[in-house]
Amino acid sequence: MTTRRSVLMGTALAAVSGLALSAGLAPATAAEKELNIGFVGVTSGPAAAWGTSNVRSMQVRADWLNELGGVKIGDDTYKINIVTFDDQKDPKRAIAGMEKMAQEGIHYVVGPNVDDGAAAVRPVAESKGIIYFPYAFPKELYTKPASNAVLGMIANYQSAPAIYKYLKENKGVKKVAFIAANESDPLSQRDGGVAAAKALGLEVVAQNDTYPNDTRDFTPVLTPIIRLKPDLLVLSGVSPGNAPLLIRAARELGYTGLISTETAHDAAVLKEGAGELADGFISVGGASTPAIRSKTMDEFIARYTKKFGEYNDESNTKVYALDYIIETLKANPKAINDVAEFKKTVDTFGAPNPYVKEGTLKYVGTTSFGQKRQLSVPMVVTQYKDGAFETLFVGEVD
Amino acid sequence: MEQVIANGLYLGAQYALIALGLTLIFALMNVLNFAHGQMYVLGGFVTYTIYGQLGLPFVLALACSALTLAIVGALVEKFLFRPVIKRSAREESTMLLAAAIAFLMDAIILILFGEKQRGVPKIINGVFVSDSLVMPYDRILVGVIAIAMIASFMAYMQYSRTGRAMRALAQDRVAAQLMGVNVDRYSMIGFALGALLAGVVGGLLVTITGVNSGIGGPISIKAFLMVMIGGAGVVGGAIAGGFILGMMESVGLNVLREFGDVTYLVIFVLLMVFLSLRPNGLMGKPWG
Amino acid sequence: MTNATKLLLAAACVLFLLVGVPALIAATGRNDLYYTLTSVALLSIISGGVWLTFYIGRINIGQGAFALLGGYVSAVLVTAYGISFWLTLPVAGLVCALASVLIGLPILRLRGVYFAMVTLTLTEVMRLLALAVPITNGAKGIVSIPLPGGVSLFGLTLIPDFATLENPRLAFYLASVVLMVLCFGALYRLVHSRIGHICLSLQQNEELASSIGVNIASIRVLAYAISSFLGGLGGAMFAAISQSIYPSSFTVADSVNFMLNCFLGGLHYVLGPILGTFALYFGWDLLFQTGVYQLLIFSSALIVLMLVLPNGLLSLRLPRKKGA
Repeated sequence: MTTRRSVLMGTALAAVSGLALSAGLAPATAAEKELNIGFVGVTSGPAAAWGTSNVRSMQVRADWLNELGGVKIGDDTYKINIVTFDDQKDPKRAIAGMEKMAQEGIHYVVGPNVDDGAAAVRPVAESKGIIYFPYAFPKELYTKPASNAVLGMIANYQSAPAIYKYLKENKGVKKVAFIAANESDPLSQRDGGVAAAKALGLEVVAQNDTYPNDTRDFTPVLTPIIRLKPDLLVLSGVSPGNAPLLIRAARELGYTGLISTETAHDAAVLKEGAGELADGFISVGGASTPAIRSKTMDEFIARYTKKFGEYNDESNTKVYALDYIIETLKANPKAINDVAEFKKTVDTFGAPNPYVKEGTLKYVGTTSFGQKRQLSVPMVVTQYKDGAFETLFVGEVD
Repeated sequence: MEQVIANGLYLGAQYALIALGLTLIFALMNVLNFAHGQMYVLGGFVTYTIYGQLGLPFVLALACSALTLAIVGALVEKFLFRPVIKRSAREESTMLLAAAIAFLMDAIILILFGEKQRGVPKIINGVFVSDSLVMPYDRILVGVIAIAMIASFMAYMQYSRTGRAMRALAQDRVAAQLMGVNVDRYSMIGFALGALLAGVVGGLLVTITGVNSGIGGPISIKAFLMVMIGGAGVVGGAIAGGFILGMMESVGLNVLREFGDVTYLVIFVLLMVFLSLRPNGLMGKPWG
Repeated sequence: MTNATKLLLAAACVLFLLVGVPALIAATGRNDLYYTLTSVALLSIISGGVWLTFYIGRINIGQGAFALLGGYVSAVLVTAYGISFWLTLPVAGLVCALASVLIGLPILRLRGVYFAMVTLTLTEVMRLLALAVPITNGAKGIVSIPLPGGVSLFGLTLIPDFATLENPRLAFYLASVVLMVLCFGALYRLVHSRIGHICLSLQQNEELASSIGVNIASIRVLAYAISSFLGGLGGAMFAAISQSIYPSSFTVADSVNFMLNCFLGGLHYVLGPILGTFALYFGWDLLFQTGVYQLLIFSSALIVLMLVLPNGLLSLRLPRKKGA
């Protein structure tokens, strides 16, 4: 009896292990060549919104390119295939995801979405030859000796000085208050913002107020801040879900000053969550306003909407990573299996930006990181009005 | 200060309502329902769809939230919890089941309603403003409705036949069974009622704080805290716990704001100290 | 089964894990499995601690706190004081054990859901502390932790310097498996010792146990300290593998998962946490290609499993145990 059970259990275990070994082994045996691009980030749980807009942007763009017959890199034409891994915002899972990407022979991965994940995958990426594009701001990821991470968006320490300067000069802002969620990313962004504000000679009236990311009612945490009557309330690193709640609570408490953040947001979410109370909310987007958008971007939005039912404005920034990867590979086909070639190309690469009326795709970051480890995404500072974003000003990072 | 107290009271009312359903289910079945927050979220999305998307009256939407969750609760009890409780060697095994149900509901909600934060039009516009107090009318209304619901729930438990049966069940399952209470039937009703409460409060709060597919887990954990403060399995305890937590958050965030992120640290540490002094919360039943 | 055959079987399993698995991986080229299996080994060590608190009749949802603490202790000692990782590993465990004694003395009086909930807040307390205390570098975390260095005794290299290895993943895998075998071996001994029997009696009836002259308070604290020691070990290893640690490296979700691992494996069996961790972790990993439906399939499978085997995977053997 015992032995039979043990044997049964052993067999079952062996079967599972065998399955595990064989899963992912199956090579792509398609007739045409396939270029696998990875994604490791969060697509479930409370922060699902961050990764989801990422994945969807990549999938829409890949489908579109494939529909046009694929992309020609060197002498071969490739279909683009997106391989996704949900790390559940857990750095330990993110490592597993990166290992998986390496196993699939993938050299270019978009993500992770948060600081801890981006730091945790670094050893894997560097030892397995993977270039990854995190949406996380710690400078250690992009400055030497780190060399495999490329920042996928504008960091808040780059956009915050520009925004505060603009508001100081044009809107007469003198007193600034900061509020952030008590998690790594927002707190780091708050510290960067406070430093930028102080450097500009602004008075920082509140900088220690924090809230747990899962807060649903922001009235208690905002009550004392509003009483300090700041001219500008900065929601450091605020998640798209919390932004409308914070705005609404602040306005209902009688706050009349400006509200801004350095992250990207979605107009529909703001409209539903705060309505006209969100008017005037300042945030940073990519190709986010009709004024600067190209026809290609309009078509991208239309395709995204068709495929997933609803567009997400966060994709205005996240649309870029895949194009950068493909265009860089086109510029140097050798990079397709060799990230050292990619790193060489980064310094000289340039291509027209398809998503805005005027602009180029190039790698930047020399000032912030001492090497070109950042995608040049137009820094479009926008103001929300009646369910859409309007351009406030456009800046650039070098 | 008036503002801080008003914030605390409003927060407390909504917390108490969230904790009620959880404590009811725990009282009846000794099940710690990890999926409580997910039920809240589902209720929120039902109201969002009917009131926000289809533009039907809010009251109807709220009723639909209640009905949907009552059905979900009844089914979950009958087909999942009941068989597992009957066959498991240790009562705590239901925790794994509850967690799995929470994951499942998370997944379904994410697929059905997407990853975005959702909101609905306000039920009433306008803000009450006086020298020392600012309170939007919709918050006042929701607070009042929450308190009314808590009152009617308590009355129901106190005076109705079903309520009496459930209280008997909570006190002593075996004795209740011997006295002719149909344990299976009232367990199911109780679970449905607990889920219904979660759904209603989700639907109610969608008008203030919106809803978002990922917040189920955090809501559950917050509800656990309130239940622990008041004492598990006691209706009065859940209400007390809700108000205490609401007040602590409101006052703490005001008084301790200079020191950074310590408010919640202080709340948690206080909770640990309090519970080691009073191992069954304010008025809870012992359970080991 | 006699003790001799048991020992043989265990030795065969260990041999398979240390030699067979690497050989299989080399043959199939699935190098990513090293990390996955390393994770399983480490997570099961941490879950093993939770299992021990279950064994004394306490539901522990706070193990993430000690994993985080252990990770930080090791990371701080390695980066700020340049101490060898291998020395920080037991230190991390001991610090966690010490902390758990301080915390355990008051809270171990709690039972049932009360204990569960207090431990649940413990993870959050540790995260907030990590954010607030200066030595942890707060929100920015500790990054770029060097790989474990070598250990040599009288000129004999016992452990090579991981940074010089061609495949540090394999080294981490072997180290983790050895650690897991040691920990579970110790747990097995403990459970089958006199103290283990007392623990079991605590699980069943504390009043009765104390009435026959057992000092239940100290036994409980001892079990909790061992449990936290294991949590600290696992956390420290994870910090070394990811070469970084953040306040969010171990969260409430992790604490809940550690508990679920024990349930899934079966609370009656020492090896339950290993099997539970393996099933939960691998289950999720295997489903990664299902994309948006991953969580849906995963949770449905869990529910079905609960309906079929409400006492855990190893309860497949339960009838024999009852008969014995």
